[in-house]
Amino acid sequence: MIDFAQTLSRRIARRPSTLVAIAVSLVLLVLPAFVNAYALSSYRDVILFAIFALSLDVFWGKTGILSFGHATFFGLGAYGMAVTGIHFDIDPSIVSLVGLLAGVGLAALVALLVGYFILFGGVRGAYFTIVTLALTLIANHIAVGWSSVTGGDSGLIGVPPLVIFGLSFVDPFRSYYLCLAVLLAFLFGSIAIMNGRFGLILTAIQDDETKAQTLGYRTSLLLLVTFVASASMAGLAGALYAAMNGFVAPDMIALLLSTEVIIWVAVGGSGTLIGAIIGTFVVWWLQQEISSFNASAWPIAIGSFFIALVLFFPNGPVALVSEKLRRFRQKEGGQQ
Amino acid sequence: MLTDFIPFALNAMTLISILLIVSMGMAIIFGLMNVINLAHGEFITIGAFVFVLVQSFGGNFWIALVVAPFVGYVFGLCLEKALISRVYSNPLHAILVTWGLSLILQQLILLTFGAAPQSVRSPFEGSIEIAGATYPIYRIFLICFALAIFAITAVIFKKSRFGLELRASIQSPEMTSVTGVDPDKINARAFASGAALAALAGVLLAPLTAVTAFMGINYLARSFFVVLVGGAGSISGVAAGSGLIGTLETALTYQIPNTVAQALVLILAIVMLRFRPKGLVPA
Repeated sequence: MIDFAQTLSRRIARRPSTLVAIAVSLVLLVLPAFVNAYALSSYRDVILFAIFALSLDVFWGKTGILSFGHATFFGLGAYGMAVTGIHFDIDPSIVSLVGLLAGVGLAALVALLVGYFILFGGVRGAYFTIVTLALTLIANHIAVGWSSVTGGDSGLIGVPPLVIFGLSFVDPFRSYYLCLAVLLAFLFGSIAIMNGRFGLILTAIQDDETKAQTLGYRTSLLLLVTFVASASMAGLAGALYAAMNGFVAPDMIALLLSTEVIIWVAVGGSGTLIGAIIGTFVVWWLQQEISSFNASAWPIAIGSFFIALVLFFPNGPVALVSEKLRRFRQKEGGQQ
Repeated sequence: MLTDFIPFALNAMTLISILLIVSMGMAIIFGLMNVINLAHGEFITIGAFVFVLVQSFGGNFWIALVVAPFVGYVFGLCLEKALISRVYSNPLHAILVTWGLSLILQQLILLTFGAAPQSVRSPFEGSIEIAGATYPIYRIFLICFALAIFAITAVIFKKSRFGLELRASIQSPEMTSVTGVDPDKINARAFASGAALAALAGVLLAPLTAVTAFMGINYLARSFFVVLVGGAGSISGVAAGSGLIGTLETALTYQIPNTVAQALVLILAIVMLRFRPKGLVPA
């Protein structure tokens, strides 16, 4: 037991991000004790967005390829849930499960098809980003234009509330803890996978794909698997969001959301996984402050952030701070 | 049969000729600097709003047609010097910077001119009859003018010294700079010229659509597809891509809703990437 504790503490010391992940989990676990039911449902939505951000970080952070269309998958999840719940006559006891399956399945299917054609076509880097960006534009066009199914500009209301195996998640405490459980499962699951062999191979592909191929790895397939897994995660977040809020709207499948999720990840530092979650909370708080000022202020803030990100801290604000800290420590060490 | 075909051909040509002008700048910039300029759509918007401004000062279409490319050129040059030239080495950074720029420009235009669509006066009213089909004169003018501009640009690209240096830089930036061509200058001029062409397209488009702060984004997506399908950095690629996307979208719009037509065009572009990752006519 002491041995186990020692190896565990040594492991954590080697990876400070795991320690941060545990700290963040503890904070989120005790949070409901300090806020009222209304605030709790906002925090639940932020947790769903954090799952969405984590899904992007799993792909972008670990493969180095930026998807500019992740809102497509979040939106497909949400619309999949809403359309199955509203347009089909499904037994109320299983409608949520069918909806979740439809939403996640739709997101995974689109990611599989698009990913197959572009990843196996050898498309990487900037081209990939552009194609996924176009994907969101088109998905949004369809969500607005196909109004008999999607409700057009106004979206759909009356998505059946989440009931899984007879257990209702209308209560804010229950729905909060359900979302938190999903988030933590994904977080620690992806930390474990990315610290393991699979993560190492992805890093190798990011460093030099040709070399990884020479070593016998089917790089396109591995990238596709990561992409589909990431899209399914985003789809699940979207489906839960639709069920818990009871509506979908075209801005859940829009370019601005694709843009925002990039910011959530970038603020936390892409590739850190836990950073995506912290970033989501920080940016969400900032958005509340800035949006109350003027409707145009938020898009301008996002735009300025992108420019500042590239010009001043290309590795993200967190990397800038930790770099400064490292230098500071070195200086301290040098003086001793 | 012929009376059905002629309006279709002219509609397709209208879209194709707009796409030719808009995509040329994007294809050259992408082929030359490997930069996808996501603010390219805003140059179209700026061109259209130059027209709105010129009109509010008592000017007309023809003055706007001269002023807008000039404004686009100067604006593009300033942006290139201030921002874009810093991000050439990293295409991902270029995407983020130009996207940020695009968001800021959209909101600034929105704050300045308001959300209501602006209306501009078309220089030609009425229609003419071509082989039994009536068609607006302005669209006929637009097709001829745009094709002329495309032809002139193609000649500059193929025959002039600037075009030669540009093509050489696309093939091999290092070798070109060894021969004494300043790569920074070439990049800046190419970027600004692309912006000028997009602004020109904005003026041409303004009488046909609602002029709003977000009008550029639709053409941005289409010109991606043109570059994706046609191939970056070559004039014939732009022609092939515009022809294909323009015809396809117009043809599909006759049968199915516009949004589904656009989705099908995107799907085609993605499927094509699997088989011709460098486009129909690579540079």
